[in-house]
Amino acid sequence: MIPESPPRMSRRAMLDRTAVGFGSLALASLVNGESSASELTKPLAESMPHFAPRAKRIIFLFMSGGPSQVDTFDPKPLLTRDDGKPLPFEKPRVQFNSTANLMKSPWQFKQYGECGLWVSDLFPHLAQRVDDLCMIHSVHGTNPAHGGAVMKLHTGSDNFVRPSIGSWVSYGLGTENQNLPAFVTICPTLAFGGINNWSSAFLPAVYQGTAFGDASIPSVSAQVKYIRNSRWPRAIQELQLEKLGQMNREDQSRSGPDASLEARINSFELAFRMQSELPKVEDLSGETESTQKLYGLDNPVTANFGRMCLKARRFAEAGVRFIQVTHNDNKVQWDQHSDLKVGHEKNAVEVDLPIAGLLTDLKARGLLEDTLIWWGGEFGRTPTAEGGGTGRDHNQEGFTMWLAGGGVKGGFRYGATDDYGYYAVENKVHIHDLHATILHILGLDHERLTYRYAGRDFRLTDVYGSIVHEILI
Amino acid sequence: MRQGVERGNPAVSQQPGELTDGDYQSMSRQMAFSFMTCLFFFADVDQLSAEDVATADLAFFESKIRPVLVEHCHKCHGPTKQWAGLRLDSREAILKGGDHGPAIVPERPDASVLIRAVRHVDDKLKMPENGKLAESEIAALSRWIERGAVYPESSNRGVRELDSGHWAFQPITRPSIPAVKNPDWPQSPIDHFILTQLEQEQIPPAERADKRTLIRRVTFDLTGLPPTNAEIEDFLNDDQPAAFERVVDRLLESPAYGEHWGRHWLDVARYADSNGLDENIAHGNAWRYRDYVVTSINQDKPFDRFTLEQLAGDQLTFDSETQQHAQLIATGFLSIGPKVLAEVDQPKMRMDIVDEQIDAVGRVFLGLTLGCARCHDHKFDPISTADYYGLAGIFKSTRTMDSYIKVAKWHEHLLPSAAASALQTNFDADVMARKQAIEATVAAADKQAREGLAADATVPEKLDTLYPEGVKAELAKLREQLASLEKAGPDLPAAMGVTDDEVVDVAIHLRGDTQKLGDLVPRHTPPVITGPFAQEFLPNQSGRLQLAKWLVDPKHPLTARVFVNRVWRWRFGSGLVRTTDNFGLLGAAPSNPELLDWLAKRFIADGWSLKSLHRLMLTSSTYQQASIPHPRTFEHDPENRLLGWFPRRRLAAEEVRDALLAVSGQLDLVLYGSELKVKNRGYLFDHTSIDLTDYRSNRRSLYLPVIRNHVFDFFQLLDFPDPAIPTGDRASSTVAPQALLIMNSEFVMQSADKLAERLLAEPETASQRLATLVRTTHSREPSSDELHSHAQFIARVEQSLAASEPDPVKRTRQAWVVLCHTLLATNEFIYVK
Repeated sequence: MIPESPPRMSRRAMLDRTAVGFGSLALASLVNGESSASELTKPLAESMPHFAPRAKRIIFLFMSGGPSQVDTFDPKPLLTRDDGKPLPFEKPRVQFNSTANLMKSPWQFKQYGECGLWVSDLFPHLAQRVDDLCMIHSVHGTNPAHGGAVMKLHTGSDNFVRPSIGSWVSYGLGTENQNLPAFVTICPTLAFGGINNWSSAFLPAVYQGTAFGDASIPSVSAQVKYIRNSRWPRAIQELQLEKLGQMNREDQSRSGPDASLEARINSFELAFRMQSELPKVEDLSGETESTQKLYGLDNPVTANFGRMCLKARRFAEAGVRFIQVTHNDNKVQWDQHSDLKVGHEKNAVEVDLPIAGLLTDLKARGLLEDTLIWWGGEFGRTPTAEGGGTGRDHNQEGFTMWLAGGGVKGGFRYGATDDYGYYAVENKVHIHDLHATILHILGLDHERLTYRYAGRDFRLTDVYGSIVHEILI
Repeated sequence: MRQGVERGNPAVSQQPGELTDGDYQSMSRQMAFSFMTCLFFFADVDQLSAEDVATADLAFFESKIRPVLVEHCHKCHGPTKQWAGLRLDSREAILKGGDHGPAIVPERPDASVLIRAVRHVDDKLKMPENGKLAESEIAALSRWIERGAVYPESSNRGVRELDSGHWAFQPITRPSIPAVKNPDWPQSPIDHFILTQLEQEQIPPAERADKRTLIRRVTFDLTGLPPTNAEIEDFLNDDQPAAFERVVDRLLESPAYGEHWGRHWLDVARYADSNGLDENIAHGNAWRYRDYVVTSINQDKPFDRFTLEQLAGDQLTFDSETQQHAQLIATGFLSIGPKVLAEVDQPKMRMDIVDEQIDAVGRVFLGLTLGCARCHDHKFDPISTADYYGLAGIFKSTRTMDSYIKVAKWHEHLLPSAAASALQTNFDADVMARKQAIEATVAAADKQAREGLAADATVPEKLDTLYPEGVKAELAKLREQLASLEKAGPDLPAAMGVTDDEVVDVAIHLRGDTQKLGDLVPRHTPPVITGPFAQEFLPNQSGRLQLAKWLVDPKHPLTARVFVNRVWRWRFGSGLVRTTDNFGLLGAAPSNPELLDWLAKRFIADGWSLKSLHRLMLTSSTYQQASIPHPRTFEHDPENRLLGWFPRRRLAAEEVRDALLAVSGQLDLVLYGSELKVKNRGYLFDHTSIDLTDYRSNRRSLYLPVIRNHVFDFFQLLDFPDPAIPTGDRASSTVAPQALLIMNSEFVMQSADKLAERLLAEPETASQRLATLVRTTHSREPSSDELHSHAQFIARVEQSLAASEPDPVKRTRQAWVVLCHTLLATNEFIYVK
C-alpha cells in the first residue's frame, strides 16, 4: 500500500499535529527516508495497549550487585542446620567463582503481616508492608557475571545490544505526559552494560531512557544533561530563540518545505519549555516535612536513596511510564563476596525505609493500584560461602524478586528454591518470563510487541517467555 | 524502519511463517488449518507429501493430532524451543525423542513416554505443564500411536527452491546505459539510469545547484568539514571548464578525505576504543586499526585488497615492514567486536566471539544476517545451520583470544621493527642492570654479615636475617621495582588482531548450545552463493584467506553490490537498496537494480577504486541537483526515492563538532594517534561509574575515543551509531535533547566565544564583521536585510544585558557571542543542502 503523501503543512499546523514531548519528534524515518512521510505522527503519543492493563506505569527499584535471597526474603532452616557442611548436591556447571561449604544467614527471619511472609531483620520497615508484596522466590537467569546478568535483566540479552525493557514499554505505550520523557532512570550505573541498559538500541532514539545523573553522582545533584544554561539569563535565551526561529523560517522560505527542518524548529521550542518545566517535577521543596521524613530525607543514611524514591513518585504522578531507580553505592554494592554482614547491612539500611515509604505514599495517594513496583538485583547469591567464610558468590540459579501494586497479589509468595536456596525448583520464573509478565501487567503482549530490524522482528523476550498468571489478581 | 506498527495498536503484523502458538490458539481450528497451509509454503517446516500415507490416517492426524501438538506441545518442543531436547514436529524427531528417550514407541501407546506424560503417570513428568489434556485428546494420541504414528513427511526443500531466484544471489548483470529523452541533462552514465526512471514517471529533476551550494556540499561530503571562505572564492572565480572536477580532485587528495570516509567504514566495522558489554576495558591499540583504515582510504587501496587484509592480513606476503604492520593491524577488524569477557562459560564465550565475527562479516561484506543460523536454519534466507557452522569452523580455527579465563584476554600482534627491538633491548638491559644491582647489594651485605659473626659461630643458611634494617628495606624496594617492571613488560608496539589457531571443523551446536553437538560440518562457504570460484579449505589453515578470496572474486554477486550501495547511501542519504546491511529476502529490493549492477561492474572494472567511484558519482547531474524539488516531483515522489532532487541532510555528529571547531578557528588538524587516556585493558568504567575519558580536545572528532556503553554524549545525542553493531545506515533524528545540547553545552558556547573573538579581532566595521560571520557559518553572502536584522539583534541583547553587565565593552562582546551562538544553532549551519 502506498501511503498518501501528507498535505503541506504550515508551521502552526505542524506544531499542532506534532505537539510532542521531551525526547520527541524522532524524525529519523523522514530524514533518512526509511519510512513514509505519513508516519509523521506522535511517536510518543499515548497509545492503546494490546489489552486492558493492570498497571499504567512501573517503578523498578534495581539493587545493583545481587542481594542475597537467603539473607532477605527466602529463609532456609536447613541452611542454618547444615552450616559449614558441604552442599549435598552438585553446584552448577557454570559458576562465577568457586565456593566452599554452606553458610547460614547471619540474620534472623520473622513472619509479618496478615499473610505471614518471612522477612529478615535486614528490612524492618519493608517488613511492615509485606501484605502489599508479591514475592517470587524462583527467579533464575542465565549469566553469573554482573555485566551479562545486568544486561539480561534490562534488555533480555546478555551478548547483544538490545533495547531496554523501558524502551519497549515506551514504544508500546507512549507517554501520559508529552512534556516529560516516557522512560527515566535515576542515577544508573555506568558499568555492566552502562548506557545499553537504558538505550533504545535499534528502536528509534525517542524511546531511549533519559538519565538523571549516574551512580557516581549524589541524587541531590543528579540532573538531565544540558538542562541548564550556565551563562545566559532567561531573557537572553528568549531573544535567542526568537532570533533562531526567525532565521530558520527565512531559510525555509528559500529552501521549500521540509519536515525535518520544521521538526528542528519545533524541537528548540520544546527544549526551552522543558528546561523550565522539568525542574518543577524534580523540585522536592513543596513536599511536606512528613512526606520527606517518610522517605528518610531527614537522615543522611537514607536521604540519597530516599530522594530517588520520592522523585520516582513525582515522575509517576506526572505520567512517566517507566521509572528506574538504581541503588548502587560507589564502593559497596550488593555484591558481598566477603563481609556479607557489613555490606548487606549497610545497603539494606539505605533502602529499607525509603522503599517502605514509597509504598506507603503511593498507597495513600491511590497510585499503588495502577503502579507496578519491581524490586530486585541482577542475580542472587550462593548459600555456600566465599571470601574465607564471610561472603557469598553470584547465583543466577535461583533468587528472589518482589513485585507490588499494579494488579499483582499482595502478601503472596510464588515459586521456591531448594532446601538450601541454591536452585529455583518450583514454578520457575526465568528473567524472560518475568519480562513477559511485566509487559502483560502493562497491557502488552510480549509476543506481539515486536520491531522489525535488520530483516527480522525482534521482541524483548526473543523466542522465550511465559506469563506467570498465578501472581495476578 | 517502523514496519507494521501503527499507533494505537503496537501489535505488529507478522511475517508469513511466523505463526505463533498464541495466534494459533486465538484462531478457530478451522482457520488455523488454512493458516498452516500457508506455513508449509513459506517456512521451512513440514511440507505435505501424502502419497505414501493412507488417506484416513492422514486425515486423522490433521484433524485430531496436529492441532493438539501445535496447541499444547510445539511451543516448548518445536522449531523455536526444544525443552528437554525434544521436538514434536516431525516423526523423525518424535522417534528420536529427547532427554527421556524416544517420545513414542509406534504401535505401543502404553510404552510411550509421551502417553505417560500426558496421562500424568509420573509425578516428575506431567505434560503439558499448563494443565492436563482433555481425555478425548489423550485417547486420540493413543490411537494415533497404536496405528503407527503417521506423521506426514517433512522437507526443508521448499524454502531453498523458493530462494534460489532471489535477485541478490544472481550474478551481477551488465546493463546497457539506457537512452533518455532529454540528452542534455546527463553528464555521467549514472544520470541515464536516474533520468530514465524520472522520465517514466514524467517528473522533472531539480535545477542544477549553484556553485556555493555545490562546494559546501562536496566539501562536507568528501572531508566532513566546511569549505573555507578562500576555497569558496577560488571556486567562484574559476570559470574554466572542469572547475568542479578540480575541487573534487583537491578534496580527494586532502588527508581529511581519508579521515571522513574512513569514519564511514569504521561505522560498519563497529570500531571502538573499548570492549563495552560486561567488562568495559580499553582497546588500547584499536587506534592503529582506525589509522590503518584512514591511510588505506587516502591511498585508495583497492577494496578487494582492503577486504583481504582485514580478514587475512596475517597470511599475506609483504614487501616492507610498513606493509607487514599494516596487514597485521588490518586483522583488527575481526577482533574489535564486543565480547562478554567475564563469561564464565568458556566454550560459550568462544562461540559467542565466533558468532560475532560471522555476524560482522555477514553484514559488512555480504549484507546478510548470518547470525540467525546459529540456532536454526535461517527463517528467510537460504542459509542453513550447517552453512553457519561451515563458517564457524573458519573462525574457530582462528586465534582471537589468548585466554578465555575471566577477564578474558584478546590476542595482540607484536609489531616487529628496529624501534621495537631497541625497546626490548633497552628493557632487557634495564632488567639485567637491576638484577645485578640487587645481587651486588646482597653480596656486600652477606660479606658484612659474615664478618660480623664470631669466628666459631655457625653460619646460618640465610644470611639476610642478619642484614641491618636499612639494607633490608633497600633490598625490598629494589626487588619490588624489578617485579613491577617485569610485570609491566617493555610496552612494545602491538595491535589487536587475529592469527591462525589449531585448525578444526565444528559440529552443529543444537539450538546454539555448546553442550549439545550434532554432526561435524566441514568448513565451507554458503552454497547458495554460486559464481565465485569454490575455495578449498586446507587442513593447515583456518580458511580466512580462502573466505576473503571467495568474497572478492569478481563473480561474487554480493561483495561489490553491497559496497557500492554503501557508498551510495553515504552520499545520497539512502541506498539504492535501502537496507544497506541486509540484501537477503527481508531486505529491500533495489530501487534502481540496473544502476546498482552497472555501478558494481564498473567498480570492479575500475580496480575496486573508491576514488574512481567518487568521481563517477560526484560529476553526475544527479549529484549536482539543487535540493529544492520541482513541485510536481515532490507531489509524485515525496520520499525522493527516484532522486529527483538532492536530499538535504543534517550534519553527522562528528561533522557538527568539527564544523564548530573549524568556523571558530579552533580545529587542530594533527593526523593519527590515540587520545585514549586509559591504558590498554584498563577499565573505562567500573562499579564507581566514574567517567575516565576526557573529550577535551580540539582534534577532529575521528580521534576522540569511542567508548562502548557510554559514547561521548555530544555524539550520542546526534545519532552516532552504537559502536557494538555494524551500522551502514545511521539514523538522523531530531529530538529536543539535541536542542538542549546546542543551546546549553559549554562546548557550543565556547565555539561562539572563539568565533566572536576572531570577528572582533579584525579591524572591520560592524557590518563587515556581520557579513564575514554569515559567510563563515553559512557559506553564502548575506542580504542587506539580514545584516540589518543582525545588527538590531546585537543592540537588543546589549540592552537586555545592561542591568547585569555594566561594562559596555564587555556587553558588546557578549552580545556578539550571543549572536554567534544563535547562528551556530540555525538549520542552515547544521544542514547540508
